[in-house]
Amino acid sequence: MAEVKQENRPQLIDTDVHNTFPNREALLPYLPKVWHKEWLEVGYNISTYFSQVGKNRLDARTPDGGHPGSDPHFLLEHHIEKYNIDYGILTHSTPSLSIAALFDPDYADALASAHNDYLVDKWLSVSPKFKGSILINSNNPEMAAKEIDRMASHPGMVQVIMASTSRMPYGQRFYHPIYEAAERHGLPVVLHPGSEGSALFGAPTPSGFPTRYLEYHNILPINFMAQVNSLICEGVFEKFPHLVVVAMEGGIGWAPHLMWRMDKNYKALRDTVPWLKELPSEYIKRHIRFTTQPLEEPSHPQHLTSIIEMAGLEDNIMFSSDYPHWDFDHPELALNRFPKELRHKIKVENALKLYKKLA
Amino acid sequence: MTVTDTSKHWVGHKQELIQAGRKIVKVGKHEIGVFYVDGDFYAWLNYCPHFAAPVCEGEICGTRLPSRVYEYRFGLDGQILRCPWHGWEFDLKTGKHLADENTKLKQVPVEVENEDVFVIFKSRA
Repeated sequence: MAEVKQENRPQLIDTDVHNTFPNREALLPYLPKVWHKEWLEVGYNISTYFSQVGKNRLDARTPDGGHPGSDPHFLLEHHIEKYNIDYGILTHSTPSLSIAALFDPDYADALASAHNDYLVDKWLSVSPKFKGSILINSNNPEMAAKEIDRMASHPGMVQVIMASTSRMPYGQRFYHPIYEAAERHGLPVVLHPGSEGSALFGAPTPSGFPTRYLEYHNILPINFMAQVNSLICEGVFEKFPHLVVVAMEGGIGWAPHLMWRMDKNYKALRDTVPWLKELPSEYIKRHIRFTTQPLEEPSHPQHLTSIIEMAGLEDNIMFSSDYPHWDFDHPELALNRFPKELRHKIKVENALKLYKKLA
Repeated sequence: MTVTDTSKHWVGHKQELIQAGRKIVKVGKHEIGVFYVDGDFYAWLNYCPHFAAPVCEGEICGTRLPSRVYEYRFGLDGQILRCPWHGWEFDLKTGKHLADENTKLKQVPVEVENEDVFVIFKSRA
């Protein structure tokens, strides 16, 4: 890498900033007319838990009272500029990320394209600090691959995004066209939570539905474990050796446990996955990235650092705020618990290495 | 300290071992598994390096060789010893664990004299 003066280098990248639109009508110019009625009457099909504090920061409503995350100019001022964020990677809204749960995949495909065109038109055009995620309908991988092909050349689109939950584990061959397309374009694939338990997707846990939002939110990481486990065991990273998957907003602390358990089982059951050429934990280190929010907050903050060190994931973790959601992490206050070198990697270096378009 | 000596222990008749493919013998406090694989004899201590299981009592089998994703290549038939506890696979010719070649069975030298097979093992009195 060419030497760049420190003051010119980005200092903070937020990998999870949620954007939306003011109302459903705003998306109509980007959606074929055949879907307008369904969009206006049904929209998404997402299961929702009640939260006593809502799902968004109360202070994030736009000046005219609009939905949090719906005004790019306000988001720039209220979040990006306020915290001196060099790049904010836009990740659509939680309901948008549930489109693969819709019963009709053709409708979901149309919604994906509409969201992407809206993002380019109304957000990426506003500031070079905004970068985008290509929303796909993972329930129709052939069309998802075409959507990646359609959007990947946009210089502001830095990754592909889909729900962290799915109809079947993400490593299975049904989904491989998505990874083939993402790898071909050099784009990471992000898994983001919030749709667990919706429509076509499985229940949030293998034992069914938690009762309350607290309980649901606590247990979201088990699904990330399931997906990472599947991606590795199915040989996705042997088949697509340059692919990187970002386990976004799914926690970090579980990583060593899964790595140790996978490695132990691999020593006994290697012959059932003969395409794996090394210990499963090595694939996690090379191909999986994690984001910080919602940061685990142990009583002794250094314990989280210890876990990251145990897992050898110092180069795999990136900062995310999750603005404007209720469980937002403040960039400085969340990260100052990490030692300086690790903090710098999390703030900016690991994201710069992953997102080539930011370099 | 007990006295140790390098000594030769009779395992069995050559033809009997070739027929059986495997024989486990006791030498002092230890057990040794003697295997006949592809025309040669190999002997290994009957302890799995993982959790000390009687590894030599495991299944003698083949395995799925390294392959491309969703491809299956069966091979090393009769050359793999699979630990009876956790299923770790060892190559009977090298003693190496297939998932981690730094993990190995402990080898014991074998001598064949005419029609008899011996292991050379320092047994404690």
